[in-house]
Amino acid sequence: MTALVIWQFLWPFGLIILVPVVLGAIGGSAWRVFWPLALALVVGVLMQHQVRTNMDAYSSKQILDVGIAIILAVSLTIVNGFTGQFSIGHAGFLAVGGYVAGSITYYGSFALFGSAGATLGTMSGLYGAKEGAAFVTGGEGLFLFALLAGGLIAALLGVVVGLPSLRLRGDYLAIVTLGFGEIVRVLIQQTPQVLMSKDAIAAAKPLSVPLSVGGSLGFGNVPKYTSLFWVYAAVVLTLIFAYRLKQSSTGRAMLSIREDEIAAEAMGVKTTYYKVWGFAIAAFFAGIAGGLYAHTIGISLSPVDAGFQKSFDIIIMVVLGGLGSISGAAIAAAIVTYLPELLRTPDTLMKFAVVGVPMLVIGGALLAMAGKPDQGPGKKRGHDPRAFPRAVIGLGVIITGLSILAFVAKRFGINLSDYRLILFALALIVMMITRPQGLLGVRELWDGALYRPLRDFFSARRAEGGAA
Amino acid sequence: MTSTVSSAISMTMSDAAEVLKGSGAAGESLEVRGVFKSFGGLKAVQDFRLSLPPAALYGLIGPNGAGKTTCFNLLTGVYRPDQGEITLGGKSLIGLRPSEIAFTGLARTFQNIRLFGELSVFENVKLACHLRTTHSLAGVILRSGWQRAEEAAIRERARALLQVFNLHDRMDESARNLPYGDQRRLEIARALATGPKVLLLDEPAAGMNPQEKKDLRKLIREVRDVFGVSILMIEHDMGVVMDLCERITVLDYGVPIAEGTPHEIQKNPKVIEAYLGKE
Repeated sequence: MTALVIWQFLWPFGLIILVPVVLGAIGGSAWRVFWPLALALVVGVLMQHQVRTNMDAYSSKQILDVGIAIILAVSLTIVNGFTGQFSIGHAGFLAVGGYVAGSITYYGSFALFGSAGATLGTMSGLYGAKEGAAFVTGGEGLFLFALLAGGLIAALLGVVVGLPSLRLRGDYLAIVTLGFGEIVRVLIQQTPQVLMSKDAIAAAKPLSVPLSVGGSLGFGNVPKYTSLFWVYAAVVLTLIFAYRLKQSSTGRAMLSIREDEIAAEAMGVKTTYYKVWGFAIAAFFAGIAGGLYAHTIGISLSPVDAGFQKSFDIIIMVVLGGLGSISGAAIAAAIVTYLPELLRTPDTLMKFAVVGVPMLVIGGALLAMAGKPDQGPGKKRGHDPRAFPRAVIGLGVIITGLSILAFVAKRFGINLSDYRLILFALALIVMMITRPQGLLGVRELWDGALYRPLRDFFSARRAEGGAA
Repeated sequence: MTSTVSSAISMTMSDAAEVLKGSGAAGESLEVRGVFKSFGGLKAVQDFRLSLPPAALYGLIGPNGAGKTTCFNLLTGVYRPDQGEITLGGKSLIGLRPSEIAFTGLARTFQNIRLFGELSVFENVKLACHLRTTHSLAGVILRSGWQRAEEAAIRERARALLQVFNLHDRMDESARNLPYGDQRRLEIARALATGPKVLLLDEPAAGMNPQEKKDLRKLIREVRDVFGVSILMIEHDMGVVMDLCERITVLDYGVPIAEGTPHEIQKNPKVIEAYLGKE
């Protein structure tokens, strides 16, 4: 069996070595193209095998949902966070990508394999595939093609939506994007019924076949290819791309538009060009996420997926994580997706107190030790030794609060997950009051500046010690 | 001269100029003739004219609301003139977008500081190096050799500029956290990073204390001498203007009422009238 698996991996591996070598010959950077692909492959394989062997089906599905949410949140970060254009129609791109990819695999399966059933490869299907099935050949290859096609069509629409943003700013642009999402939703509602058999497809007009995606009845027949492998490979590639974008001249140009459009233009940044690119890139990744979502087990694509409620779910992730922070958006996506599940199990939630209470105690003790902030010029620059203890206490309050909430809910027999929308709204309000810049602000997890409160705290301690 | 960058503090102005070489300074003159602009019934600028030779240091003064900043906005393409001619090195700037004008070699600072506040000081300057580089999405995805080489060049350039402006020890600070005077200087550094031939400074000394003003005078003069850019500045501080500028244009109600050396301007009865009124 192992020999077979190794053989089946050889050719895709050969491909991911060959592609960078060819690209490398052009650009001179084979290694830098190779490692993200290799990492994506390794992470994907690990997720697929380890998670599925160590966890039950339900948890696996949760982890898969988290992965898709991360791609969505990071893609929206590129528009809302980098270029600062407030788009509230992101789910439109998700739906477009999902429907395009779904239509391709569904009707493609009829054309290629004679039926709509998924012909799973080794790495597709959440609940595992046949042992020794091929990798990327057959149905899996069709799935990969469909994902990319969905992403590209969504990116094309991203350009279409990006174009009005040449003339509009702020609220006005937000309204246009909202309109876009609604247009997509209504258009999908008008599509004809899904053609269920070969005969029906043969009888229908050829052009109408790929558009027969079920209208308001939903499109549940999409073959279920999505697996932890594909989702997390996509997550890795999305994260690496977003990071590289942020670090590049192009990314800086986008960030400068967010900061001050007039100044950016005066510094030679073609603001419209970068805004449209921002929309296109974000739409591409949202389309990929949509494709993954459409092929997930238990999901029936429906026009609602293009609606503004879905868009707001993504916005909440981006805003909570911090506008412009890739890692912040990813973390927030994981929390926002996973928290409702936690709310369903108050016993687990109550155990949070084990972490939360000590955090409160330690935070309080540190605050007592911290002393006053620097006076004079230091203060203006925001050096405050109390910032770090406050952050510890803040996190402690949230964690302890959740466990208290779970305790109360259990005591009175309330199902907390029924109230998750209220809880999210509350969390958003509290966040906006206490930390409007979001979890990480514009920083990334690995930015030194994020840890300045920590440094301020200890440097203030040292300075005090020196004085005493 | 790459070694000068790593050896940090000892870098002198001319060392830095060496690093920044190839950034404009080609000795082209800015010619403005008969520019008019009105907003509805308000004639904001009438018959504005200016001839800024290479490496010159000229001033644009006038009472509040005289239309000085409007002139800057006309020059940099924020507004389009109703009529008139603006050329840089013989090339017309009329109808170009601000980003295109920046590319032809006109850089500016703003009266109300417009830094990229959330970005670091370093990133502010790096961004301004953006327009003299090639950049493509393929470079981002592939992290190709030339893309990284270019990033390295941008870093070096930005670092050198920050050293000239003595801001290198606050490189990683968010721009908005800088003291006011530093923010003004960072804006000039950022404008210079675009590699301009002409630098427009909108009230560079505003909000500075006497010592900062003194340093600023020295800096502006050095920037002109070392980088060879022409500078046109709007300034209300007469000490700074009279000391620095070779020639001064005075605007009043959008009309240029006088033009000449600081000495001539000080004596000009029309100017005195515009500022102090008639007896």
